[in-house]
Amino acid sequence: MTKRMWMALISLLGLFLGAYLTLYHYGFIGTLVCNVSSCEKVQSSRWSMFLGVPVAAWGASFYALMLVLTVAGMQERFAESLTLSLVLVLLTAWGVLFTAWLNSLEAFVIHAWCEWCLGSATMVFLLFLLALFDWRERREQIESSYDDDSPLTPA
Amino acid sequence: MPNKRPEPPRKRQGGVVKATKKTSSSTRAFYIVAGAIVVLGIAALSWASTRPKGTDVASRIDTTLPPVQSSGYVIGSPSARLEVTEFGDFECPQCGRFATLTEPDVRTRLVNTGVIRYRFIDYPLPMHANTWNASRAAACADLQGKFWEMHDAIFANQDRWNGEATSSPDKVLKSVGAQIPGINKDQLDQCIDTKQTQAKIQAHYQLAMARKVEATPTFVFGDKQVEGFLSYDDFKAMTDSMLAKAPAAPADTSAKIDAKPGVTLPVKKGE
Repeated sequence: MTKRMWMALISLLGLFLGAYLTLYHYGFIGTLVCNVSSCEKVQSSRWSMFLGVPVAAWGASFYALMLVLTVAGMQERFAESLTLSLVLVLLTAWGVLFTAWLNSLEAFVIHAWCEWCLGSATMVFLLFLLALFDWRERREQIESSYDDDSPLTPA
Repeated sequence: MPNKRPEPPRKRQGGVVKATKKTSSSTRAFYIVAGAIVVLGIAALSWASTRPKGTDVASRIDTTLPPVQSSGYVIGSPSARLEVTEFGDFECPQCGRFATLTEPDVRTRLVNTGVIRYRFIDYPLPMHANTWNASRAAACADLQGKFWEMHDAIFANQDRWNGEATSSPDKVLKSVGAQIPGINKDQLDQCIDTKQTQAKIQAHYQLAMARKVEATPTFVFGDKQVEGFLSYDDFKAMTDSMLAKAPAAPADTSAKIDAKPGVTLPVKKGE
């Protein structure tokens, strides 16, 4: 499978995880499945909201956007798009930074860990790595296409 | 004249087609795995969203466990057909959500109309740093007949006195209590300072432990119990299902209590 396919699968998993935590936030799920940590404390803390929207819903939206972009990137039309690769790198880099901020809140402010949040953090980091590799691959592909065909041509 | 790089030659498209053919099996694998994730994900979400609700999934209570008839704080008519007990932790966020979002409706529509009687029993969980202080302060207010007012004020101000907010919760709890109309502030402060109500909270904690309560909030409806936050609709559904099984009680006009959400009248106190 290509890197974009792996990214799409991870995004799909993340979308369900985000949906689960969002449903919990709005009271559709009574208790979280949380065996080894304090998910409830984290999910109900004041840090569980960002700009008036639950962090879980932001996460679900992020994964949904990643899913759309990576599935689009699997189509022939965008298969070699360097721009799309760059967008994926930037989006996932933002995701890594946001996740790092949330994890630092868990460690130093809330003093509790949520295993679902840690799972999401792992997925975002994997997405970032895959996006980086995908971007590098696209660049190498384009570079080699110039090398194969012609030297720089005058405008 | 600067040199410009042209767009990749179109013939490269042929490479894409070749690659697509080469990866057709991996594309198939992708769609199979994606389909499996979608099916499992939807099944998991459906299971999770229905799991803790309704009488079918509420756990049956072990009848050999000690009764709760002599503990906690009670509002509602003694002749109500159903008693609902909450094992709650003042610092538990879900208990706070229930107290501020659901409980006002429960009191207005079910307690004040005589449908149910409601009991609150402290279960201060060890993970919460300041919850014992809150339970003691609420019990101190109870000595002046102001438990429910203090209960509501404590939950409404949970983010001011909890373990994340302060290491001196008693100071905040005193100022929260001082806002309650008619409360004797000096008496409240002295009670909080001397931890006068510690033994009572300890007894509540032991009762919850003995009844094997595992989480807060835990709601006991007759012989069933449910863990976690309940919306008013969930609470009402549980109440209705238990009332349908309970024997009919004689009409009791005194059951209508003139109490507003947040300012409720303690009808019967335990202990």
